[in-house]
Formats: sequence, structure tokens, C-alpha cells
Amino acid sequence: MNAERLMMLGGMAAFCLTFYWVRGRQLREKYAVAWMSVATVLLLLGLFPQLIKGFAENSGLAYPSAVLFLALGAIYLFSMSVSLSLTRTRRTSVRLMQDLALTRYEVEGLQQRLSRLEHQFNTSNTQA
Amino acid sequence: MRRQGRIQLIARKATQQRATPLALRWKFSVATHLIVLPAYNEAEALPSTVRTLQQLPDGYELLVVDDGSQDHTALVARELRTQSRLPLHVVSLPANCGIGAAVQTGYLFAARKNGYQYVIQFDADGQHGADYLTRLVQTCEDQQLDLCIGSRFLSGVGNEFRSTFLRRIGIRFFAGLISLLTGQRVTDPTSGFRCAGPRAWRAFVERYPDDYPEPESLFWCARNDLRIGEIPVRMQERSTGVSSIRSLRTAYYMIKVTLAILIDRFRPLERFET
Repeated sequence: MNAERLMMLGGMAAFCLTFYWVRGRQLREKYAVAWMSVATVLLLLGLFPQLIKGFAENSGLAYPSAVLFLALGAIYLFSMSVSLSLTRTRRTSVRLMQDLALTRYEVEGLQQRLSRLEHQFNTSNTQA
Repeated sequence: MRRQGRIQLIARKATQQRATPLALRWKFSVATHLIVLPAYNEAEALPSTVRTLQQLPDGYELLVVDDGSQDHTALVARELRTQSRLPLHVVSLPANCGIGAAVQTGYLFAARKNGYQYVIQFDADGQHGADYLTRLVQTCEDQQLDLCIGSRFLSGVGNEFRSTFLRRIGIRFFAGLISLLTGQRVTDPTSGFRCAGPRAWRAFVERYPDDYPEPESLFWCARNDLRIGEIPVRMQERSTGVSSIRSLRTAYYMIKVTLAILIDRFRPLERFET
């Protein structure tokens, strides 16, 4: 297997993974846009290997680019897991904030009712 | 003991006093509708918006959802409570959660209070016309719609709404995309002036898009066979404040929403009782 095929496979896998997670609502579309861009770049490099070859020849980084490729793979997996957990955390925190806001509203209402009752009680007590 | 008994009596009387209107409401089935006003830094525009809504008949309640504003939106809304003829509720999110979460808070509120028929989303910035609100609800009732959108682009009201060229292109693009994918004609998928029936808003309690929720939620309804419709409305330019969609972000907005809509097509369909 050569590097081009590996990149194509990587790009396709990135597409499938992103699609799978967004479909399952585990990944926000906000992050999916960036990850699908990464997948597109990988696919393009796999389809047109002369792009990366040209870059390697012009920059003199023919061998280090392979190391860079591996490093990119590791960074990809790490960052994707961060995006997934951020999506989950965001959903939890929003629901918590919504619940908090509605509970505060209910508590305020109950406090108002309680003070009305206390006022009524004090008034009737004074009259008695 | 005597004092305790008196407290209980007063408490019972207060409960009875409060329970009567609710009981009457159920007895005569007078539907109550909730108008949700998501507000982020709208302290300046909110009073006039609430004032224009006072022309509505009884049976409407207002809910201001303060989305973690930096200005005095929550304070202004609480002051307006005393001046409003219609019941006005104020819920404050502790931090800015975005328009989707703010609107969903309104649906959660409706679900918790349990007694509303239609939930109407209405911008706090004063760009929606209150005169069209009853028509929106009436259309929902007459045509048994689950979601009715106030459209700026349907003919019939001599619309004067102006927007940037890029935004108009974006709206047309989403209208075309949703119409193509669902086979239902929509003209204004980004409109935030919309009325949701019980089936739609109860579903939105469970799932509602985070940011830029309008086209995605509309597509979700159409795809899941909820009945959608539109009526022509006139909207004004924002009176104050800044739109949540700035022109520079339009391109990102279009890509993100398109992706969300296309991926939603692959989610399992949900069944609703007719």
C-alpha cells in the first residue's frame, strides 16, 4: 500500500466517521464542517499525489512529510475525541441551564405566593 | 395549634382562588397560547415590542427568555411584568446559550406548565408585526397545521422587507433545498416568526437545533410528515441591536445549515399520531 492510497482511505474513513457521529447527534455540525474539510484535503491529496510531491520537492521535506502524516493521524484522533466530548458537554450544560432557569422561575413564583400568604396571615392576625 | 389552623385555612383559600380560573379555563376549553420572545441584549427594544403585543385578545401569554444578556434585558422584562395587560413571564438563562436553546426553553416552559395549545416564536427586537400573530394562530387552527411560518416573501401584503444580497441568496437557496428534499413549498425558511402546534412544540422539547435553528427545524417537521404552512407577513428592519446573523458569517451559516439538513435526511423518521 502506498502513501496515496493510505491518504485516500484515511480521507474516506474521516468522512464516514464524521457522518456517523453527526447522524447519531454525537457531533455538532459546527465541528463536522471542519472535520469534513480535513477529510476533503486528505482525499484530494490521495487523488492528486503530485500536490504533496510538489510540496515535498519544493520544500525539501521529502521524508519528514511521512512523519508529519503519522503525526496528523494522531492529532486527528485526539482532536475528534475532544470534539465529541465537547458536543456531549454542551448538550448537558444547556439542558442544565434551561432547567435551572425554569426552576428559578418556579421558586420566584412560590416565594411571591408565600409572601402574599404571610401578609394575609399577618393582616388577619392583627384584625383578630 | 389555632395559629396553624388559620394558616392552613388561608393557604386553602389562596389555592382555591388560584385554582378557579384554571378550572374555568379547562371547563370551557378556552385555549391559551404562549408567545416566546427570545431576547439577547434587547433591553432597548423589548418595551416597545411588549407594548405592541398588548393589542392581542385575552388567551395569550408572553414569555421573555433572557438568553444571558449583558445588558439589563432581564431587569427591563421584570419591570414590564407589572405594566403588561397579558400575563408576562420572565425566564433568565444563567449564560448565553444561543437562539436555539433560548427558543427551546420556551417550549420546555410550555411543557412544564401544561395548558398551552400553540407556542409562537416572536422576535424581541420588534421586527415582527403583532397584527399578523392572530392570523398565524388562526391559520394553524383552520388548516390543522403543526407549524406555520410568517413569510416575508409570499405575495399579498406588499412586503417592504430588505436584506443584504447574500442573505437573500441564502434564504432562496434554503427554500429551494427544503422544497426539493421534502416536496413541500416553502418561501421563507429562515423566518423566526412561527407558530408551533402541540405535536411540533412537544417534539422540539426533546430536540431543537442549537444555532440557526429555523431552516433545520422546518426541514425536520416537513420530513417527519408534520403539517407545515406559511402566511404572508410584513416585517420591519430591526429597530435596535444587532442581528444574530452578520453578513460575514453568512457563508459559514449556509454551509453549516446545508450540512445539518443533508445529514438529517439519514436520521430515522419519527411517527406522530394523527
